[in-house]
Amino acid sequence: MRHCLNSALGAVRTRSLAVALVLALTAGASWAQEYEAALTPDGNPNLNGIWQALGTAHWNIEGHSAESGPVVEMGALGAIPGGLAIVEGGKIPYRDEALAKRDANRQDWLALDPVVKCYMPGVPRATYMPFPFQIVQTPEHILIAYEFASASRVIYMNRPDFEHPGDAWMGHSRGRWDGQTLVVEVTNHVPNTWFDSAGNFHTDALRVVERYTPTGPNHILYEAEIEDENVYTRPWKIKLPLYRRMDENMQLLEFKCVEFVEEMMYGHLRKKDSE
Amino acid sequence: MTVRVLVAACAALLAASLAGAEKSPPAGIQEWRPPMTAWGVPDLRGVWDFRTITPLERPVRFGETGALTEEQASEFREQELSRRNKDRRASDGISAEQDVRNAYNQFWWDYGSELTEDRRTSLIVEPPDGRIPALTPAARKRYGTIRDARARAPHGPEDRGVAERCILGFNAGPPYTPSAYNNNVHIFQTPGYAVLLIEMVNDARIVPLDGRPHLPDNMRQWRGDARGRWEGNTLVVESRNFTAKTSYRGSGKNMVLTERFTRVGPERLVYEYTINDPESFAKPWKAQIPMKRTDQPMFEYACHEGNYSMFTMLEGARSAERAGEPHTGSNLP
Repeated sequence: MRHCLNSALGAVRTRSLAVALVLALTAGASWAQEYEAALTPDGNPNLNGIWQALGTAHWNIEGHSAESGPVVEMGALGAIPGGLAIVEGGKIPYRDEALAKRDANRQDWLALDPVVKCYMPGVPRATYMPFPFQIVQTPEHILIAYEFASASRVIYMNRPDFEHPGDAWMGHSRGRWDGQTLVVEVTNHVPNTWFDSAGNFHTDALRVVERYTPTGPNHILYEAEIEDENVYTRPWKIKLPLYRRMDENMQLLEFKCVEFVEEMMYGHLRKKDSE
Repeated sequence: MTVRVLVAACAALLAASLAGAEKSPPAGIQEWRPPMTAWGVPDLRGVWDFRTITPLERPVRFGETGALTEEQASEFREQELSRRNKDRRASDGISAEQDVRNAYNQFWWDYGSELTEDRRTSLIVEPPDGRIPALTPAARKRYGTIRDARARAPHGPEDRGVAERCILGFNAGPPYTPSAYNNNVHIFQTPGYAVLLIEMVNDARIVPLDGRPHLPDNMRQWRGDARGRWEGNTLVVESRNFTAKTSYRGSGKNMVLTERFTRVGPERLVYEYTINDPESFAKPWKAQIPMKRTDQPMFEYACHEGNYSMFTMLEGARSAERAGEPHTGSNLP
């Protein structure tokens, strides 16, 4: 194997580059190695900015073909586009009974998907909702403010012993730097969030370890390892790129969606003859 | 020691300003040099607690008395604590209706227990009577509509305020106003931005500091559109583009809100806001609120996710109608 690679590399003389290439070829996930991230004034890799995922993982994190949407009147605009899996290996390793629950969720997703009701998406789903989010770094705290539902979370840096007193929709985030990568361990999830609109779910035993690695001035590789022994036979991973929003004067706008779901949630309780 | 002296100096200056001088505190603060961030702006980062029992508006009996003597303040404090005490029952001499309105026990309320250190009678520092100026006729009409909707059995969720609908917290304004609980704001700074994250309903206001223009006039937001700049050591945040769907004490969609954040000591920050809205108020008004640094973290306030009350209020109203019972009205803060 080594001999073979050495021959293939041919003229490459730089040992470090060869090592990087070998790593890239074998690990497959190391496109970050060659980029040296800009630093914040405090000397940490600089992830500040407004970012967004592209793609259709918010519909289904597994690979899926295009299909019609739930609202007839929305026509082509409401149809669900196809998308490649962001799940490593393509499939979530559900236990049998959990897979049955996922399928039941999927059957009735419009009624059950918590995001339809403007509930906070949780982690990792907030990352790949089709809305921008902003990373705001300080040495002790990193804020991620998401446009969807005005959700946000604070990542507590270098405080592995800081326990959270309860569960939260956006979990409890503790971070550290691993070279250029921001590693965030997210615990204390409520069981109510999903991963997408396709019924993929977890319980309150969920643990997520996120990795944010800058791969260029305008790209972050986002990876998350997901573990929940109640539901999956083993830990599994998702991976997707995040893109910097390049729009001039880009800013997060308000998407306080409570207003948009009140009729759906409370409409049946309106005064009948009210104006 | 230095801090105490400076706080006293600030208090003295504030008292002077209340006595009629033009300038208010950020003037007196220059003497203390705040720590700077690595990129050279005053460091306001951290969690700030803005609890106080000093009322927004001055009780009429104090007239133009802006600050009290120590003795008067102690009496005022007792009165305020007693007035806010939710553990008083009908058997303590309050009306049965008030007893019911007191809702949950004192344990749940977190106004704090102190007046402002400078012993003010109101958070409002301008106009000199410490009260919100008269509403214009148009604003009175608008506000009347809101009050009527709130007083009746709710026809739908829109009849209740933004706090009960979980759109913005009851102390989240903007501007921030000390209230029942979760009076904390976490300030983040990074080159080009300040971010103000309030605990109540987790609203993060992201304030660009690069001099970009406000959003165009047709783009309106519940919490407005914020732009910031530094004036000396003070972070100045100007918000416009509010909606007609919210009202801060009678304000309208064209309110211009100017907030000033000045760190005046390692543990102290002065928060001041000015409301300029000639369509709604007879004149501009200004309030000043002390903020205290805290090491306590803030927690998620998942309001909408747990808003069972909206269902029960609406169900209660419909059920009362079916039974032909009169609605007794809802409590207004």
